[in-house]
Order: sequence, then structure tokens, then C-alpha cells
Amino acid sequence: MKKRLKTGLFPIVLALIFMTGSAQAAEELTFGTALPLTGLFGKGGELVRDAYTLWMETVNAKGGISGKYKIKIIIYDDQSNPQVSAKLIEKLVIQDKVDLLLGGYGSSQVMAASAAAERHKYPMISGAASSNKLFDRGFKYYFATLGKATDEVKGIVDVFASVVPKPKTVAIVGSNIPFTALACEGYKRAAKQNGLEVVHFELFPISLQDYNTMLLKAKAKNPDVLLVGSHLGVAMRVTKAMKEIDFNPKAVAFSYGPTIPAYIDGLKGDAEYMFAASEWTPNLPYNGPIFGSAADFNATYKKRFGRFPDYLQAATVGGAIVLQTAFEELGLKPGLGQADRERLMKKLHEIDMMTFYGQIHFGEDGANVAHPPVAVQVQDGKLVNIFPAEAAEAKPRYPMPAWKKR
Amino acid sequence: MLFLQALTNGILLGGIYALYSSGFSLMFGVMGVVNIAHGEMIMLGAFITYWLFEIAKLDPFLSLPFSLAGLFALGYLLQRFIINRVADEPPIASYILTFGIHLVLANIALLAWTADPRTVTTTYSGANFSVIGIIIPYIKLVTFFIAVGVVGSLYWLLNHSRMGRAIQATAQDREMARLMGINVRQIYAVTLGIGAAITGLAGSFVVTFRHIEPGMGLPYTITAFCVVVLGGMGYIPGAIIGGLTLGVIGSLSTIFLTSGWSMAVTFFLLFMMLIFRPAGITGKGIVE
Repeated sequence: MKKRLKTGLFPIVLALIFMTGSAQAAEELTFGTALPLTGLFGKGGELVRDAYTLWMETVNAKGGISGKYKIKIIIYDDQSNPQVSAKLIEKLVIQDKVDLLLGGYGSSQVMAASAAAERHKYPMISGAASSNKLFDRGFKYYFATLGKATDEVKGIVDVFASVVPKPKTVAIVGSNIPFTALACEGYKRAAKQNGLEVVHFELFPISLQDYNTMLLKAKAKNPDVLLVGSHLGVAMRVTKAMKEIDFNPKAVAFSYGPTIPAYIDGLKGDAEYMFAASEWTPNLPYNGPIFGSAADFNATYKKRFGRFPDYLQAATVGGAIVLQTAFEELGLKPGLGQADRERLMKKLHEIDMMTFYGQIHFGEDGANVAHPPVAVQVQDGKLVNIFPAEAAEAKPRYPMPAWKKR
Repeated sequence: MLFLQALTNGILLGGIYALYSSGFSLMFGVMGVVNIAHGEMIMLGAFITYWLFEIAKLDPFLSLPFSLAGLFALGYLLQRFIINRVADEPPIASYILTFGIHLVLANIALLAWTADPRTVTTTYSGANFSVIGIIIPYIKLVTFFIAVGVVGSLYWLLNHSRMGRAIQATAQDREMARLMGINVRQIYAVTLGIGAAITGLAGSFVVTFRHIEPGMGLPYTITAFCVVVLGGMGYIPGAIIGGLTLGVIGSLSTIFLTSGWSMAVTFFLLFMMLIFRPAGITGKGIVE
């Protein structure tokens, strides 16, 4: 009697488990991503994680994607290691069986991760990687909301072409890793286009201990402007070293660093007058779904995390919004199959939309061709947009007074 | 002029190298411990100064006693309760153990403080003066003199104080020292404490002229290793000689080659030294 009861109950219980299981799956759309939460780019990875978190929370509060599918994001730490990043993508696809992937941080990691994503035919949009090499691979499934590294820095060099008196010479230094090395190439190209002579060009290893002597070489050439290929750490070190060796170019620009609040917080008065390349500032007249205007996004972010977003976080969320929009317009459901993801990929190549981050339209190689570069400067302890002129909040302060005269 | 400035930079850099490498040399000379967690002691010293500056607005120079005391305590406790346990084992045990300590310290710091780069900027940060057209940053000059002072004091301590002689005796012959009534385990703990304290002091200076983050230690450990091999492992004044050599050669290679090459030159020197003259430039290093 007991045995029959048990055997009788067993299939019923099993059916109940499966029913509840699949009912949950229908309500959730799972995303996966590998981010550098530790290691060299730990800071950048954390910020991108915050960006995705904000997007997830905001959309879920409105009911979810298509008003019914809650977003769930699985985040793994790739420790700033490209090989690990690629392996984690494999894990997300094969083991965790995520519906979709989200882009990570850092050209090196994203290069490896997107190769894995392409193999499995998963669309991946990143908002925090811009090495030109990412787009030279003939991939169909990789997209980026940022401009290419060489184009990103064009804005800041154009600024220098328009100040009075116009500078004649530039020195370019940068760390020898994908994004920053390409930023330096971009500087070189843009300088040539603007009739600025490059009097010094040096790429240094990221593990360089002494910046003073390296910058001394640039100082010896007496450039009007110093252009630096940098992430946050390098930007801080270059600024400090310049002061120590009393290197006084008329202006200094960084490819990345000053847009992160920690730069100004850490360097205090020494950060004043520094320029940086950017792709987004909160004052730009952009407006879009989910978050409203650029200024709205800025305020929402500050409220949630207690600090302002920089352009990478804006680009990251912009990318997520585009993915969401494409998904919704196709009327897809969770439990995506190969064919669904291929449709999504094709849709992403067609889409052309305005968001709080700006216009997003992907070219054939996946780069965002509709997004112009922007430049900012630290003025009175705050970042202000100084380029393009139509969107500028203030005029560039040029030339920079010598360190001893500040 | 460029040459003279680069030379000056190299000399000042050498002072910093000497400051954070002398502790490494001491640990090896006395206990045969290659402290792979060395860079973490610099990192912790730097963070002590950083947090005191952020929270208590304490000037970096005034934070020095705190990093000295803090790192002395850490070094003492590490040796007393952990590293002493492998004192009777072959040296490889201490390499593995200190490697483990390096991982633990770096990762606890990462969990506690995140990977955010941080720095200390005071009103006098970067301030410098010039002599015959050569620019000398004040903080680096002060660090140089402190390095010379510390190395000199350490040398004096080892040769002219009771504690120092006990340390030397223990280094020369542990069993005999024990027979003479020296508490070897205590001596080891104090030695690591002193080595860690000096290294923490170096960290406190470092945070004023560069950014710091929990993962910054390993390159310093490697540089300390190079400095000490050049100057002679276990020979304290060698830290200055090794430091100056490395600083000057590194600086001049950056000027005449590139910064990338200067690192290659540094390691090439280390390589050559280990093959042809393992006792260092001075010939007074310990070779095992």
C-alpha cells in the first residue's frame, strides 16, 4: 500500500517541480557578463557592474523587459585577465545557459570575451572597450557604443587646434596596452590632421616604476601640448610626476582618467586645467527611453550610488538599452535559441535610435558610427564640457599656468 | 643637461630603492627568508598614511610613526607566530610561506579597500627647487636622506648595540647563539619587525608621489630583489649601492633608449650578476 502511494505520488511531485520550474523561467530573461572586479582594471569593472545594476533595477521596477520579463544578470570576475574572460563567457553560454551576453570592460578582456561570444553566435554590446582591433576581425555579433579609440581622442585634439594662440607642437606618451596605445595612434593622426607637429612619441610599459625620467624626455622637447594615453592610475602618476619635474606644457590631455571622480578627489588642486577625452557629459541634449535625458540619468545614478557616472557607464547602459529595444521590437521571449539570437544580431545592425547617451547606430563592423567625441576640462574642481562648441558649458582655459604660479 | 637631470633623478630614485630594499636584505641576511610579501609591507605602510590623511587629515610626515609602529607589529607577529614555524625547514618552505602571506595580505586589502587607485596630495606635493638648472623635488630629497639615515642606523644597530650583536650572532650560527642564551625565536621576530617597519616607512613616502592600490606590491618585491642582489644579499650598506646602481642605470637607459628598454636592462643586470658575481657588486653578499 505504502509503496504504491509513493510511486503514485512521485510523478505528481515531479510534474509539480517541472511546472514551477518552467513557470519561473518564463518570467526571467537571463544575461551574463564577465567583468574585471579585481586586478589592474578592478575599478573600471566595478563601475560597469554598477551601470548594469542600475539598468536592471530601473527596468525591473517598470515590470521588466517587454513589461513582463524580469532581468537577471550573472556576473563573473575575470580578474582583468583576457583568457579568464573568454573562459567565463564559455561558462555562461554552456553551463549557465544565459539568454544573452553583456559586454565587459577593457579592450584586452573584451577582445577575448567577444571572440568566444562570436563562436557561440551570441550578440555582445560593450560600452567600455574601444580598441580599433576589436572591429577589424570581421565579426558580426560584436557591437560597441563607444567610438573607436583612435576616434575617441580626436575631439580633444580638435580643441587644441581652435585655441588662441594655436599650439604648434605636441608630445605624446602612453602606456603600452591596447586602448592607450591606440589612443596615442589616434592622437598622432589627429595632430597631423590639425597641423600640429609631433615632437616626441613614447609608449611605456604599464609596470613602469619611475615616471619622472620618462617625462623628462618629453619636457626636453618643449612641446606646447602633452597628450597622454592613460587609464586612471597612469593619469594620476603622470600628473604628479609633471609637477615634480616642473614640466609646464600649455595644456595636458588624457585619454581616460579625469572623468572618474577619484582623479579630482585624489589630486585636488593639481587636477585643475587638465583635459580629457570623453564620449558623454550630462549636459548634452540627448533624450531616450527608460532613463529620459542625459541629465536625468546623471541624477538617477548619483541618487543610487552616491557618485556621478562617467561616460563609460553611460555608454554601457546605452548599449543595454539598445539590446533591450531590439529584443522588444522583435517580440522575443526568454529561452532564446540560435535562430532568435541571429535575428537579434541582424536587428542590431539595422537599429538607429536616440538614447540618453546619444545616437546609437552600428556600422557593418559593429562600431557606433553615430556618436561624436566630446572633450572635458577640470575647471574649479569640476569637469565641464568644452567640446563640441555647440554643447560646451564653458570655454577651454588655455594656456595652463606653470605649476609654480598656481 | 638632460643627462645631469636624469642622473640626479636616478640618484634620488636610488635612495627610495635603498629604503625599501634594506629591510628585504636584513630578513634574508639574518633568517634566510626571501620575503615575497615584501611589497605588501610597502602597500600597507602606504595605506596607513593614506587613511590617516583622509580620515584624520594627518600630514604624511606625521603619519610616519604610525606606519613604523604598525608594520613593526605586523612583522613581529608574522615571524613570531607564522614564519618561525618553518625556521628549521629548508629555505624553500619560507619562500612558499611568504608567497602565501603575499596573496593573503594583497587580497584582504583588495576586499577591504577595493582596487580604486588612491593618492595623497598635499600643498607641498611635487614642490621642487633647482640647483644649476637641475630640478630636485623636496619629498624625494627628504626620502633620500631618510634612506641614508635608516640604512646607516640599521648598520650601527647591527654592529654597536647589544640587540644588533645578538642578531648578527644568530645570523652567523643559530645553534651556537642558542647555546649562548639568545632567544633565537625572539630575535627573529624582532628582526622581521624592524625590516617590516623600515619597509612600511618607505610605503608612507611612496603614496605621496604615486597612486596606490592593493595590488601594487609585487613589482616592489621584484625591484627589492634586484637591488639586494646587486648590492649583496644580507649586506645592509649594499642596499644603498644596489639602489643607486639600479636607479642611475635605469634612469640613463630611459633617456638613451626607451622606458621599456630600461626595465629590460634592469633585469639583464640582475641576470648577469646572479651568474657571474652572485655576491653582488661589493662582493659581500651571502651566497647560498
